[in-house]
Amino acid sequence: MRTRRLTRDAMLTAAALILYAVEAQLPPLTPVPGIKAGLANIITVYAAFALGGADAAGILAARVLLATMIAGSPAALMYSAAGGAMCLLAMLGLRRILSRDQIWVASVLGAAAHNLGQVAVAVAVTGTPGLIAYLPLLIAAGMAAGLFTGLCAQLVARRLGKRG
Amino acid sequence: MKQKYSNRFWAVLLAAAFALCALSAWLVMRPAAGRRALARISVDGEVVREIDLSAVDEAYRFELCTPYGANTIAVRPGGICVEDADCPDRVCVRTGWLEGGLTPIVCLPHRLVIALAEGGDGLDATAG
Repeated sequence: MRTRRLTRDAMLTAAALILYAVEAQLPPLTPVPGIKAGLANIITVYAAFALGGADAAGILAARVLLATMIAGSPAALMYSAAGGAMCLLAMLGLRRILSRDQIWVASVLGAAAHNLGQVAVAVAVTGTPGLIAYLPLLIAAGMAAGLFTGLCAQLVARRLGKRG
Repeated sequence: MKQKYSNRFWAVLLAAAFALCALSAWLVMRPAAGRRALARISVDGEVVREIDLSAVDEAYRFELCTPYGANTIAVRPGGICVEDADCPDRVCVRTGWLEGGLTPIVCLPHRLVIALAEGGDGLDATAG
């Protein structure tokens, strides 16, 4: 049983890394820092709802660490980790009031939480609270991206069914 | 599984939240030339340079070296921007000109923030 779970989570981590790498190849959408589609979160959202907190956290941690080692700087790790952690916490909390068919809702709010985490870290690191001015734009864009990734995760959950 | 709130509830709530964010983003980002003309350049949270944009007659540029890298900053009457930088993502360069808006220009790898503040109306100080 443990092997099966480990293998499944490892495959999902690989899928998340691929999504991340593919997205990194796309040209930036806007000059505003932090606006991205966040495709790798499709895996995080799916895992949070279909597999549970422990698996989702493990997949997220592995993905963030590996992605930073492969194609990022230690500084970027902070932002990824903060954003990802906030997103996961939000989604795990929302699991209590959302059904399996409302994964898209969790994704939208998770994306907003993600941006909140990133801005918080940026403010702490640069020491300028003025960065909060970017929050409305980031959250709006994040919600839109979260809707897209949420719908994708919803489809994945539907296809994979209960067995994950 | 149980559904505590309906899909429609969430759709309305999220749409409202989105509209609120989009509106405040627009309010915050539009250029409000004239009111905010004092550019504050800070690295690691410490102000290293202040420029009164309303007192600028001719455009000029200068290089700012931080412990993390260098940014070339361009200044023109009423505006400031990062023209060039050696950071890996160059988001600061792509942000473009800052002319009165609330959102600052940020270079995260260099811990650099250029923000506009009230004041800078050509006066150095007032005594009352």
